[in-house]
Amino acid sequence: MEQARNTETDPAKETPVDENILGFGPGLKHAAGILFSSKTAVAGLFLVLFWVLTALLAPYITQYTPTEQDWKSPNQGPSMEHPLGTDELGRDLWSRLAYGARIVLVVLPVTENFWIPGGTALWGVFASLLIGAGLGLFSGYYGGWIDEIIMRLLDAMMSIPVILLYLIIVAAIGASAVNVVFAIAIVGTPGVARLVRSLTLDIRTRDYVRAAETRGESPIYIMFVEILPNAKGPIIIDAMLRVGYAIFAMGTLGFLGLGLPPPSPDWGSMVAKGREFIMSGSPWAALWPSLAIASLVVGLNLLADGLREELTRYQ
Amino acid sequence: MKKDDFKVHPAVLDLKSDMEKGKVTRREFIRYSSLLGLSAAAAASMAGFPWSGAAWSASVKRGGKLKIAAPVHKVTHPAQFSWIAPSNQLRQIAEYLTYTDGDNVTHPYLLENWTASDDLKTWTLNLRKGVKFNNGDSFTADDVVFTMNQWLDESVGSSMLGMIGDYIDQTGIEKVSDHQVKLHLKRAEIGIPEHLFHYPALVLNHRTFEGDFIKAPHGTGPYLLESYREGEQCVIKRRKDYWKTGADGKNLPYLDETVFIDMGTEMAPMIAAIQSGDIDIIDFSDISATEAYQALKDDKNVNVSPSTTNQTRVLRMRVDLKPWTDNRVRTALKLCQHREKILALAYFGQGVQGQDVHVSPKHPEYCPIDTPKYNPEKAKQLLKEAGYPNGVNVDLAVGSGWKEIVRYAEILKEDAAPAGFKINIKTMPNSQYWEKWTEVALGITTWAHRPIGTMVLNLGYTADEDGKPAAWNETRWVDKEFSELLSRANGTLDIDKRRKIFCKLEKIQQDRGSIGNAFWINVWTITRKRVQGVKAHPSLYLKLDDAWVNA
Repeated sequence: MEQARNTETDPAKETPVDENILGFGPGLKHAAGILFSSKTAVAGLFLVLFWVLTALLAPYITQYTPTEQDWKSPNQGPSMEHPLGTDELGRDLWSRLAYGARIVLVVLPVTENFWIPGGTALWGVFASLLIGAGLGLFSGYYGGWIDEIIMRLLDAMMSIPVILLYLIIVAAIGASAVNVVFAIAIVGTPGVARLVRSLTLDIRTRDYVRAAETRGESPIYIMFVEILPNAKGPIIIDAMLRVGYAIFAMGTLGFLGLGLPPPSPDWGSMVAKGREFIMSGSPWAALWPSLAIASLVVGLNLLADGLREELTRYQ
Repeated sequence: MKKDDFKVHPAVLDLKSDMEKGKVTRREFIRYSSLLGLSAAAAASMAGFPWSGAAWSASVKRGGKLKIAAPVHKVTHPAQFSWIAPSNQLRQIAEYLTYTDGDNVTHPYLLENWTASDDLKTWTLNLRKGVKFNNGDSFTADDVVFTMNQWLDESVGSSMLGMIGDYIDQTGIEKVSDHQVKLHLKRAEIGIPEHLFHYPALVLNHRTFEGDFIKAPHGTGPYLLESYREGEQCVIKRRKDYWKTGADGKNLPYLDETVFIDMGTEMAPMIAAIQSGDIDIIDFSDISATEAYQALKDDKNVNVSPSTTNQTRVLRMRVDLKPWTDNRVRTALKLCQHREKILALAYFGQGVQGQDVHVSPKHPEYCPIDTPKYNPEKAKQLLKEAGYPNGVNVDLAVGSGWKEIVRYAEILKEDAAPAGFKINIKTMPNSQYWEKWTEVALGITTWAHRPIGTMVLNLGYTADEDGKPAAWNETRWVDKEFSELLSRANGTLDIDKRRKIFCKLEKIQQDRGSIGNAFWINVWTITRKRVQGVKAHPSLYLKLDDAWVNA
């Protein structure tokens, strides 16, 4: 985690801002070009796409529901009926893995019967982007005592170890998907804010910002229309890495018994439960979700890294 | 003591005739009559069993060292123990007045014997003579009175107070002579000998004990405390003048040394250590052994001996909160337990099925009762009658550290869905569950082993004098007929009559009670094959005075 945090601020340092890079609309083709010119990014993309497709198609590519218990065959290895084996309650591991990916990437279960599109990790990162970008823009654009107050408060938050902060938040407000989103948002905000602030400090000295100020545009307009779109390249790359950390965090919380409540197919809690049976010769229930978390996080990191490399090369 | 001082309690003779008529089994006869002060050997001979106390061969080996993985907690006052593990270390240095063995039979230990008055309100404890503390002091009645006063002293805060405090206070303890103590109770109580073996009940030296046992480790037990380092290890060494003799005619213990090593709470390193022979025993008294059982049950170098216990996991419903106020809803949820499946998956089939009654088949007064079948259709019907035709949404609180409880909850959620229960499992750390175990509407609570059926029913399903539910009555269920029958059972010695009352008690609890319980669990004493003489115990108490190692 420590290492991860150090790289968080890297995109800002290494990537001077360029309004054309990773821009949408006419820039989209350009972005795809960058993406496919990096082998790292392509490898990452495939890993991520695999899980995204699995998550989207989960109901069509699994034979069982993730909670269906076959109590006569618990802790089985891979077989024709169960391609990845079964867990301690005889539930199909492939189904649980696929539906687990859904929670991470595709749906946010608000209650048992109500969900909204967009995975738990994605919503968490989106929320931290929203708050963090707002705070960073204000801080960087106004400077002075506003900057001091916001940054010192965020520094205070950053001084608490990330895992501890997650534990405190989730233990305080209870374990549910929505609360995990809150936790990811709160923990992610300081990092995003610092990144956006540093970008803002740079961009606000540019001529087009001066021009807008001379035109008499409002500060809000300048922050959100002039500065933010020009900072989006590094922010997007940072966000991609952040989704990886969020998945990691979900896994950790689940592993510690603070993730989504059972019997939901939360990858972290699947590892925690499966762990009990490793010593007795059934490693499957712990192995697959561990691999799933690892491959998805690695995929996102490769993707972000590849993109960043290509971007810096084009400078 | 002269022979004729010893009076056989009249109930023993009743028991004997019951046994002869086949109303009580021999084992129950031994159990009950030993509670009433007959020595186990005498009881066994009355029951027609040869008593094989220390009869096993003189092939024991002396010397050697035993290594045990066990948490080494911070301890000061033994009466304040709230974990069994520290008692397993210090019970090798200090001892108890009685000893309840793995079959729930209670023997005198530091007592020579005991007698109870006919009304069970006056108990005479005769102390063993010639026992010395390891600092040379003689063990006398003063030590017993001092220790009991510590239990009953509110400023000590011993859990013994909750156990014995409602039938005795400090004025009720009378020193008759140097080797005799009389207890004058406020009400009849049959469980005293077993209460004297409760794990915080170590006998202290009244001359030297000043609140911290580690500073003055003076007990009557077989070992001396060599060193005690919290979180690291506890080393104990053989004592030369211990009062018990072994099978070879010399003083116990056989072992020279025993080391308790704190290996934390992770199971994998402990399993690996016992497999490789780095440790000989794992102390599972305060942690779940299911993972180790799974990993070690087929290991050729390890003995895994199970004990059936009266420990259970109770699905408890608070009868003062909706929807559990309605017995039909409670019955419906109970019917949703697929017991065979729950026992097989949640506890690997290692136990016996429960019957929604907090009396275990291993309790002496247990009256056989039908095991309800899984019946979601009937449950659905009952829910409909209770006014929930579209089902009902309920939250189920569980501590995520108890793996078998989480599995129990997950299976129940799945199997109760067809009946219309939508169960939301609310997991929390175990410590958080203990903060609100009596408060949640629906939860699964773990209940410890208790040797007598009345003990747990009195704790969990009664009200105090003002009609308020007792402190541990987590479901607030108070039933007039049940309470009356239970207080009759408390004062009934005759096992046959007692069981008749229990038949009614169990029926009431099954029909309109507040709990479901799907299984009673086994526990395991796990030792290397070379370890001899460590017997399985349902509370996983470790008795090491006559343990020895085969090279």
